[in-house]
Amino acid sequence: MEKYKYFIATCIMILFSIATSYAQDKEAKITLTFEKADSLYVCKALVTSEGSPVSEVPVNLSVKRLFSNLPIGDAVATDSTGVATFEFPQDIPSRNGKLTIFAKIVDDENYMNTEASGEVNWGTVVVSDNSNVDERSISGGRSEAPIYFIVASLLAIGLVWGTLLYSVLQVFKIKRLGTVNKN
Amino acid sequence: MSEEKNITESTKYETFTQEEYMIMKDDLLRPIEKIGKAGKIWIAFLVAVCLAGVVAYYIQETKSKYVTVSLRDYTMWGVYISNFVFFVALSLVGVLMSAVLKLTHFEWYRPLSRIAEVIAVGAIMLAGVSIVAAMGRPDRLYYLVTHGRIQSPIVWDIIVIMTYLTTSLILLFIPLIPSLSTCKNHLKNLPKWQLKMYEMLSFGWEGTPEQWKILKKTVKILTVLVIPLGISIHTVTAWLFALTLRSEWDSTNFGAYFVSGAFLLGSAAMIIATFIFRKAYKLEKYLTEMHFDKLGQVMVLMGLIYAYFNINEYLVPAYKMSGLHANHLLNLFIGEEAPFYWSVVFFGIVVPCILPMFKKLRKPLPLTIIALAVFIAGWFKRYLIVIPGLLHPYLPIQDVPASWTHYSPSLIEWTIVAATFAAMMLIVTLFSRYFPIISVWEVAEGKLEGKEEIINYK
Repeated sequence: MEKYKYFIATCIMILFSIATSYAQDKEAKITLTFEKADSLYVCKALVTSEGSPVSEVPVNLSVKRLFSNLPIGDAVATDSTGVATFEFPQDIPSRNGKLTIFAKIVDDENYMNTEASGEVNWGTVVVSDNSNVDERSISGGRSEAPIYFIVASLLAIGLVWGTLLYSVLQVFKIKRLGTVNKN
Repeated sequence: MSEEKNITESTKYETFTQEEYMIMKDDLLRPIEKIGKAGKIWIAFLVAVCLAGVVAYYIQETKSKYVTVSLRDYTMWGVYISNFVFFVALSLVGVLMSAVLKLTHFEWYRPLSRIAEVIAVGAIMLAGVSIVAAMGRPDRLYYLVTHGRIQSPIVWDIIVIMTYLTTSLILLFIPLIPSLSTCKNHLKNLPKWQLKMYEMLSFGWEGTPEQWKILKKTVKILTVLVIPLGISIHTVTAWLFALTLRSEWDSTNFGAYFVSGAFLLGSAAMIIATFIFRKAYKLEKYLTEMHFDKLGQVMVLMGLIYAYFNINEYLVPAYKMSGLHANHLLNLFIGEEAPFYWSVVFFGIVVPCILPMFKKLRKPLPLTIIALAVFIAGWFKRYLIVIPGLLHPYLPIQDVPASWTHYSPSLIEWTIVAATFAAMMLIVTLFSRYFPIISVWEVAEGKLEGKEEIINYK
């Protein structure tokens, strides 16, 4: 019996995972609604399955950023009416004020993974002052180096390389003197 | 014409005693005349290591660097850049042993100056090679010229390395001109091309008073110029670190700390080189025990200065133990790197400060052994500045792969580093095979105490 213990355990585990995966096969649908209550942004996700609302299902909320989605708080479980209510932060930056918000059911015991998204005008438009971008500064680009910096650098480089050039010319002077002496 | 008259009148030129000069010339030109079996084996060995490095570099560049080298997002510089810092430090030996001693009239510099200058030229060349080895895209090197910003320390570094290399080459070459003339006149049993090379490079040297005057003036100007240049090359190298956001490098002390370390390393390198040339070329008459005695004293002085900067560099942040500094410093003092760190402190700072204080230990052999320990500790010291610093970034990334948080150089990296050392030694060896490694006229001039100048020897 000892011999078969691992085999039986493996079989049970496989059966269990098959059973749980079948258990997840119920489809759920999320409907996202956005409300502005007083001064709060509220986002509601209604989860329904086969036409009726589903309670106690955790829903994750996230907002689309440049590369991936940024989670907004922890998962919130749906109440008896099938609604998960989120308070949405008011300081999410956006280029044009628009945000794409995702509600997701992930790894639930009874329902398959699903998601819904909606676009809403809740973002904070970031206004950056780029007026100084063309100014000359140490952090500027190649063509925006400060004038004093370019002058100082060229002066130092010129002085040193000038001396080196002078030294090389002296070598040729030595050669000329040698030839004159020979003649 | 009147100028020429003035020169002749103002200085009396005396020929160095012909007999003395002939003996000295023979001694110093002997290594060029014939290469012994050991010399050939040594050169072959160095060439082999260099070739291994070329093959390793070919593998590194043709296969994925993620596979061939251990450089990752944290340790993006690694052993190549610590090697670069080491070579830049080594190149300052020219400044210390040739320029500083010459300008401060320490007469014993004479037989050492050319050795120091050749090491400087070799080291600065290999410093450049080390940077290229570390580059992700060496084919884009020219972008530094086409897209580089003058505000960037990387561009300063490139400018100052090129300038220092050129200056060192000219400073090596100009005092060599009279020696080349000596080679041309006295060496006969050599291949034709070699004699032709001496003929060409001696630039019509006749040893006339005017020529000597120009030569000495130019050498003096360059000697003065090379000191600020040498200091700036190593200071800029230090700034490459100090201007990067890492807790270990966040220091205003870095430039001086690097320069003082370079001078200590320079004295160690000089002792080793002097010992080897003395034995290999039988130059005991010129590289005397007195030189080792003086070099040992230089080492103690440089060691003490370096110790002072080390205390500043480590003790001040250690007293405060703030945030990230604590993380990094505790790792060095009592953590993972502690045995490594304390060995480097012992051999790299304590040993050079104390041991050469004893006269008996300033004899050639014991001093060379001390210098060797300082030299090796010096290399690892640069490793300890670069690598643990990189491993403790200000903004640690979460869940990084294990290979990012530890760094141990791959075989490819070690081979390339070994090849840079071999290449440097090859440059010095080959130079000493084709040119007098001790400046004949400078030594002769030094022996002419009481007489004014040496001019007429050829």
